[in-house]
Amino acid sequence: MEFSVDPAARDRLAELREWGEKEVRPVGLEADRAGCPIPVGHPFFDRCLARGDGRTRWPGPGRKPAGPRMSIVTQLLLAEEFAYWDRGVMIATPGPGLPEQSVLGLGTEEQKERFLGPFLEPDRPRWACFAMTEPGAGSDAAAIQTTARRDRDGWILNGAKCFIGSASRSDWILVQATLDPSKGRKAQRAFFVPQGTPGLGPFKIEKKMGLKAYESTSFSLDDVRVPGAYLLGGDGPREHTAGFKAAMQTFNAGRPVIAANAVGIARAALDEALRYARAHELLGRARVRDRIEAMARKVRMARLVCLRAGQLADQQRANIVEASMSKALAAQVAQEATSEGLEILGLAGGRGDELIEKLYRDAKAMDIVEGTGQIQRMIIARKLVGLPR
Amino acid sequence: MFDMDPGDELALVAETARQLAAEELTPREREAEATHEVGGRLRATYHEIGLAGLELPESAGGAGLGSVARVLVNEELAAGDVGAALALDPLGPALYPWLEMGGDLAPLAEVAERRAGRALLVMASEARVQVDAGRVALEAAWVPAEHAEAVVVLAGEHATLVTEGIAIRPLPGSGLRAAGAGELQIDAAASVVLEDAQGAARARARARLYTASLMLGVMRASCEFSQAYAQQREAFGKPIAHHQALAFLITDMRMALDAARLLVHEAAWRLDAGLPAQVEAASALAQCIEAGRSIGPDGVQILGGHGFMADYPVEKQMRELRVLGLLYGGFDAAVEEAGRRLGTRETPLALAPVEER
Repeated sequence: MEFSVDPAARDRLAELREWGEKEVRPVGLEADRAGCPIPVGHPFFDRCLARGDGRTRWPGPGRKPAGPRMSIVTQLLLAEEFAYWDRGVMIATPGPGLPEQSVLGLGTEEQKERFLGPFLEPDRPRWACFAMTEPGAGSDAAAIQTTARRDRDGWILNGAKCFIGSASRSDWILVQATLDPSKGRKAQRAFFVPQGTPGLGPFKIEKKMGLKAYESTSFSLDDVRVPGAYLLGGDGPREHTAGFKAAMQTFNAGRPVIAANAVGIARAALDEALRYARAHELLGRARVRDRIEAMARKVRMARLVCLRAGQLADQQRANIVEASMSKALAAQVAQEATSEGLEILGLAGGRGDELIEKLYRDAKAMDIVEGTGQIQRMIIARKLVGLPR
Repeated sequence: MFDMDPGDELALVAETARQLAAEELTPREREAEATHEVGGRLRATYHEIGLAGLELPESAGGAGLGSVARVLVNEELAAGDVGAALALDPLGPALYPWLEMGGDLAPLAEVAERRAGRALLVMASEARVQVDAGRVALEAAWVPAEHAEAVVVLAGEHATLVTEGIAIRPLPGSGLRAAGAGELQIDAAASVVLEDAQGAARARARARLYTASLMLGVMRASCEFSQAYAQQREAFGKPIAHHQALAFLITDMRMALDAARLLVHEAAWRLDAGLPAQVEAASALAQCIEAGRSIGPDGVQILGGHGFMADYPVEKQMRELRVLGLLYGGFDAAVEEAGRRLGTRETPLALAPVEER
C-alpha cells in the first residue's frame, strides 16, 4: 500500500497549515471562549471566501467536472490537518457542506443548478446542511419520525430535527423525512427546504461542551410545504431509491473523514503536551516520556488505519470494515490522547484556558457523530461474524 | 510516505511461508512444544526453500531481503507455530548488530549453514552483563533456546560476539518451547566487539520488528481461531458471536491486530527505505505487546472453559504472546527509547508528506 501524495497535495497541505495557524486556531479559541458559534458576519468567513473556500465542486450547468478529484487519501490528510488547528472551525466554514455529495450523486440537473448554483461564485458566505438526526432518532437513523405527505403537486413536512450543523444560517436544508414511519428506511426521502419557508423553525442554537465554533441547531417543521421538484432526485423513477441511500451515501463517505479529524485533534494534543512538558522541564521524568510515547504511538496508528480506509476507497475496493474501524479507533485515540495530555499538564489542565483542555472537550464528539463507536462495532461485527441486524 | 505494496517477489516469499506454516508447523505444534524440538526434516525443508538466510546478504550466501520481507514471513510462520518459527531461524535477530554495524558476517553465515544452528541476541537491558578487558560475563534468566553456537550481546552502542563458553541450562519454559527454553550463562573471551551508535540503534529497531511481527502472527491465529469458534458455538439459542458482548470483543481484537500490523509494516518500510525508524519500530513493538496482552487472554475468554484446556491452541497463544513481549527488553525498553527520542523532536508526528518534502 502506498500513502504517497503528489506535489500539488503537498502544497495544499502546507497552505492549509499556514491558514490553520494564522486564522483557524485563533478564531476557534475565540468562539470557545465566547461560548457560541462564530457569528455569520465574522470577517473570518469573508477571508474564507477570498481564499477560495465555500464553493461547490459542481462545475456548473452543462459542464463536465474539471480533471480528477484529489485522492481520498489526500482529502483525509487535509481533514486531519484542518482538525489539528480546529475541528469546529472546519465544520463552520461556509459551503454546501454535508449534503453536497448527495446532491451531486442523486440530484437532478435542475436541483444542482438551483441549490448548488449559488455556491459556484458565492456573493457572500453561504451554507447548506443536512438534517437527519431527531430527538428520538440518533444512531437508529431508520427510525426517524419526520413525515412527508403528498399535497397536490408538492409535499408537506412535519417533525423535529436536532443537532443540525449550521441550520439557522443555511440557504437550504436537506431534510430527511419518511413517507410512512412504520416502513423504516425504505420509506425515507430527502427534501430541499429553503430557509424562510413558512413553518420552518424556530431555530434553537444548542449550548455544547466543545466544538463551539459551529452551530448545532434544533428546529421543527410545522406543515412546511415544498414543491414536488424539491424531492431529492425528483419525482421520477429514481424517487424510490434516492431517500435512505442518499443519507447513507453521505455517512459512508464521512466516516474516515471523522477519523481523520480525530487524528488531527489527537496530534494537536500530542504537540501541545510535548511543548508543555519541554517548557516545564518535565521530560526528565520517565512517566511523562512514557505518556508522550503512548500518545504518539496511538496517533500514528490511528492515522495509518484511517489512511488505509481511504486508500481502499481510492482503489475502489470495499472498505466498510476499515472505514468503521478507522472511525471507532481514531475517536477512542483522540479521547485518550487529550486525556493523557491533561495528565501531563497536571493542575494546569483544570484552569480552563489551556488548549488541551479544549481539545479534550472537542474530541468526545468524534465518538458520537456519524455513527457512535458502538454503531461502528456493530457494522464491523456484521461483516466479521454475521451479527444479525 | 508509506509504501507497503510488497510486490510480487515478496508476496511469493510470504505465500511460501504461509504454506509451510499451514502444512508443517500447525499440525505439529503440540508435539514440537512437548519435545522442545522441530525435527530434522522440517529444518531441511526450511533451509531448502531459502528461509534460513532470508536477510543475510547475497555475498554471505543469503537472500539479501530486508525488513518488510522479514515481517511478512514472521507473521506467516508464527501464525502456524511461533516456537517453531524461532527454532527454525538459525540467526534470528542476532544477525542485526553484525549487519548494521559492519561486522564480518562469516561466523554468523557459518551458523546459518548448519541445519540445527542457533545464534542468539541478548540485549544488555534483559540480562546481567559485564564486559571487561575482552571478557564477557553474562547471565540471562531465560532464552528460547537450549543450545547456541553464537551469542551477540547488544549494549548501548556496542555489540559483542561470543562463540565459546556458552552454557544453556534447560528450563521448562512458559511458551515458545518448540525453540527450547534455557538459562544462558557466558563466561568467555569476546571474539569481536563493534562500536557504532547508529548501527546499534538500527539493529535494536530490527530486533524489535522481528518480535513484533512474530506477535502479529500469533495474534492473527488467536483472532481467527476464536472468531471461527464463536460462530459455531451456540448459547442461549444463537451463535455466541451474535451476542453483542462477544461480537464487540471480537471486533476490538481484530481492530487491535490490524492497527498494530500497520505500525509494524510502516516501521519495516522505513527501515528498508533507509529512513529513521527507531521510534517507529519501538512503538510498533510496544503496540504489539499491548495488543497481545489483550488478544491472548480474550481468545481464551471466547472459548470459555474449552479455552483453558490444551486441546485448543488459544491457551498456548496466550502464553506465547506474553513471553514474546518479554524478549529484547520488552515493553519498557521500547517505550523508553521511543519516549527519549520523541522528547527531542519539535513536533513528534508532523504530517509526514509535508515534513519529508
